[in-house]
Amino acid sequence: MKRVYSIALAVMVYPHSGHAADPFEQKLSPERQISQALNRLTFGPRPDDIEEVRRSGLSKWMEKQLRPNQIVENPVLEQRLQRLESLSMPVSDVVSKYSPDPNMGMMMTIENPMAAINKLPQNVRIKVINGTAEERTAVLDAMDPELRTKVLAGLPDNVAEYTPKYKDEAVKARKAMQEERSALLRKRNPPLQDLLRPEDMAAVRSGDKDRLMAIIERLDPTKRPDVVAMLPPKSQAFFPEYRREAQMRRTPQLAVSQDLKEARMYRAVYSNRQLEEVLVDYWFNHFNVDATKNVAMTVNLGHVLIGSYERDAIRPRVLGHFKDLLLATARHPAMLYYLDNWESAAPDSFNVGPFAPRRGVLNGVPNSIIPNGLQRLAHGLNENYGREVMELHTLGVKGGYTQADVIAVARCFTGWTVRSPENPEFVFAPFMHDFGEKTLLGHKIAAGGGEQDGLQAIDILAHHPSTAKFISLGLARHFVAEHPPQALVDRMAQTFMKTDGDLRAVMETMFRSPEFFSEGAWDARVKSPLEMAASTIRAMGGELTDAWSTVQRVAEMGQPLYAKIEPTGYPDVAETWLGATAAIARMNFAAAVAAGEVPGVSVDASRWQGLDQASIARSLLGHEASPQTLEALATGLAGKNPSPAVVASLVLGSPDFERR
Amino acid sequence: MATRRFFLRGSAIAMAGMGQAPMWLARAAASEGRKRKTLVAIFMRGAADGLNIVAPFGDRRYRDVRPTLALQAPLARDENSNNGPFGPVIDLDGKFGLHAGLRPFKELWDRKQLAIVEATGSPDPSRSHFDAQDYMESGTPGKTGSGWLNRALGDPVGDASPLRAVALSSRVPRTLRGEHEAVALGNVQDFNITDHERLSILRNMYTLTPDATMRRTGKDAFEAMQMLQGMAKDPARNGPGPGPFPQGPGGPSQNNRPSYPMGGQLGRNLQELARLIKSDAGVEAAFAEVDGWDHHQNENTQLPILLNQFSNAIAAFCQDLGDRMADVVIVTMSEFGRTVEENGTGGTDHGHGSLMMVLGGAVQGGKIYGEWPGLEKEQLFEGRDLAVTTDFRVVLSELLRGHLGRNDLSAVFPGFKPGTSLGLLRS
Repeated sequence: MKRVYSIALAVMVYPHSGHAADPFEQKLSPERQISQALNRLTFGPRPDDIEEVRRSGLSKWMEKQLRPNQIVENPVLEQRLQRLESLSMPVSDVVSKYSPDPNMGMMMTIENPMAAINKLPQNVRIKVINGTAEERTAVLDAMDPELRTKVLAGLPDNVAEYTPKYKDEAVKARKAMQEERSALLRKRNPPLQDLLRPEDMAAVRSGDKDRLMAIIERLDPTKRPDVVAMLPPKSQAFFPEYRREAQMRRTPQLAVSQDLKEARMYRAVYSNRQLEEVLVDYWFNHFNVDATKNVAMTVNLGHVLIGSYERDAIRPRVLGHFKDLLLATARHPAMLYYLDNWESAAPDSFNVGPFAPRRGVLNGVPNSIIPNGLQRLAHGLNENYGREVMELHTLGVKGGYTQADVIAVARCFTGWTVRSPENPEFVFAPFMHDFGEKTLLGHKIAAGGGEQDGLQAIDILAHHPSTAKFISLGLARHFVAEHPPQALVDRMAQTFMKTDGDLRAVMETMFRSPEFFSEGAWDARVKSPLEMAASTIRAMGGELTDAWSTVQRVAEMGQPLYAKIEPTGYPDVAETWLGATAAIARMNFAAAVAAGEVPGVSVDASRWQGLDQASIARSLLGHEASPQTLEALATGLAGKNPSPAVVASLVLGSPDFERR
Repeated sequence: MATRRFFLRGSAIAMAGMGQAPMWLARAAASEGRKRKTLVAIFMRGAADGLNIVAPFGDRRYRDVRPTLALQAPLARDENSNNGPFGPVIDLDGKFGLHAGLRPFKELWDRKQLAIVEATGSPDPSRSHFDAQDYMESGTPGKTGSGWLNRALGDPVGDASPLRAVALSSRVPRTLRGEHEAVALGNVQDFNITDHERLSILRNMYTLTPDATMRRTGKDAFEAMQMLQGMAKDPARNGPGPGPFPQGPGGPSQNNRPSYPMGGQLGRNLQELARLIKSDAGVEAAFAEVDGWDHHQNENTQLPILLNQFSNAIAAFCQDLGDRMADVVIVTMSEFGRTVEENGTGGTDHGHGSLMMVLGGAVQGGKIYGEWPGLEKEQLFEGRDLAVTTDFRVVLSELLRGHLGRNDLSAVFPGFKPGTSLGLLRS
């Protein structure tokens, strides 16, 4: 009966559904315009935001958001960020402080077992690996016994197999080496059973907060970080004071990207410069790099560079000229590593100098040290950056380039590389550069150019009409609607062309357009998990005292921060986020926040005490809830006298709150 | 029939809406799924390098075009079975060899449950990952639209399950998007709303909302959640299946058996899928994906590890399903292949032709299918990439016909005539 009733209600409330008028021509009411602006320029309205924007005037407030350096930053945010020390360090300090110790820790497990063999003089080494059984035996006979044991330990199975005299000794040596390593590793990274009493193990597995706290209290303080390091991420949330130290001991490079992930959450929740934060999120995704990519000679270097990439390349330019933003990303070591340009070289360039790769596959063993001149490794072009810079960063896939243009761009950027993993800074390496003439999108780039070739390519790409359209489309999709009106995109592209790609001017054209404040744009976007999480905490007027758990929940909702493998970034459309498990995770996150069950998030729903459901919903959403949502609330809660927190948990999980 | 199905699913929802979905009903809905034929599509995102996955060591150009990347030809006697993912290839037919990282596939090959189709791909020349993935997932080269596997589902017959089409992923990929319901199951660990009152109100909201996207999202999510909850509470459905592989005395870790944990995320996803299939959840189409095949540099250290995970996950799935593999066919695909010549940085750039693998109890395996186009310069696509001699739709058409019994494929691959069949399935 009730269902029939509510469907009838829906029909009554939406008598004009299927109306033919263009929704992008229908203007929003002044009330909704404020809500719209808050939903697009911020990570969602807080309880008092609507009133504040009304007081200062909508257009004045938007103008101000477009000039973030005139906005005084929130002291609470600054205090939160202070703890995340890697955020403000120069890159060189981050690298030296947070790179894993190559001799200990996790690196040991992947240390090359052939190290001793690789260090042998070349003539000896060749006999050991590629010689006949007799040659190998003779060389081994002549070795100092201690060295021989090390060499035998690293000898591949199939080689040892054909060395009858030393076969058994090799097996023994390998076993001894493995045992020694695992003992060392166990000492360095003791497993839980070495640290805890057997009766405590069950408590640790249970994840029960109080029992866990009691166990940690009892421990010797020096052991606490080691124990915390072994806990599942959910339980680590209870121990912010030991968590970081634990991470520093085992995987310091992850501490840097953890700082960055937590900072992203704090900024989204607290920053007064909300539009800037929305744009940093947007442009990072546009110029995506993945912190987890392993580059051969730079294991997980992405983690230690990605903070600087956001801070130094993206953040200062999100409202500047597109060309500067493009150039800053092109030259940053994080991008040079991520899209492989650092090792792309003219096909005939030499494998010498300080930039020559020192590691590679040697005798089938990866990550071996390559003695100079032994093996040709980086010896030519890599098309990765050349293609993606056009397809994803500038022209768009239909922007009118060919395979020949991909190669031309790649050639222009040869020699744009990184000084060294220890000192990761941009450097131009002339001996890697292709000095020949190139033709890019019809433009001739004269021979003999050098570093200038890359700058010229940037210039051509940044000023191409396809780029103006592609960049405008992306922004309009993010801020207006998944399928924005072409007329709007065209006007934005015109501004882009007229202003030499001034992104602030393009944003202004969009924000001043009738389309931005139209019914077509209203609730047109489904929130990303980051937007969902931040807007939930903001709507509740909550405090984020520790972002660890929220970062995990955002990943569980389908958006691991700074870890999108593909250079596309996360596709900016609803279907990216709406899988079945992800949808339930979103509803559960909302409920957990409202109930105060997310570690590090504190909320106080008492401000809504005594209000009816519709008023609570209006306060959380920043506008009226849909009649259907209110109907479901009223029916389900009838006669139950629910607390404001219960109502909030339902509103925040409702279809209405899924959108912005 | 439609009435009965409607009653069962409709009433299960209605009862859940009142916060008291009884177990018998969930179970009834589940058993309605019955045994089904299942087609599993596994997408290797990033353009997998077919040439080093199944290496054409018998082609004399192979070593020339890949001076540092070429894999070692197989040893006369395969003595290297414990040596992990590095080392010489494993001989298949004297011309092609499996990458050592695919060692878990060797047994499937020997049991004739694995077929390889060489030089497959799309007639569209795009070298953009994202366009090419869209085209392949749509099944319409050069155009995008709904997914081929969604269209292949056809209208549900009788007692279709809410888990009829499942993506083991955080979102529904294009392959499964379209008219028919498809459910994305990412992390199923916490896939539950324990508070019945909250559940029933939320469910009501998502049923009533005029927002069509959210209505569909809610419907898929709540139905799938309820079905999985029903299954989780019924231990009889969750026992391990008899494996086709004899268990060695040392257990899985010591006898070189494939294992899910060694299969990474794909392993976890396929384990979940196996659970659904063994529970007769009525899965007809499933999709899983693996990222990270875009090896522009240092390929020979990255590919082996990835292939090792990939093959462990799939072989463990076959082992887990045991006899049920008679009802399951797995097909792998990637948006395009990689350049025939290695690039300047120990990797390969975006190319054209690649390969597909087909696995299952009904597969006529142990054989390389497709015409090998050769690696001489004039034999290459645009002078640089492996040519495509078998359209990917030929392979998919054959599996849809032979395995899922879809005879009319005009709506699945519009305008495409697959021609003579390769004979991938035993008839």
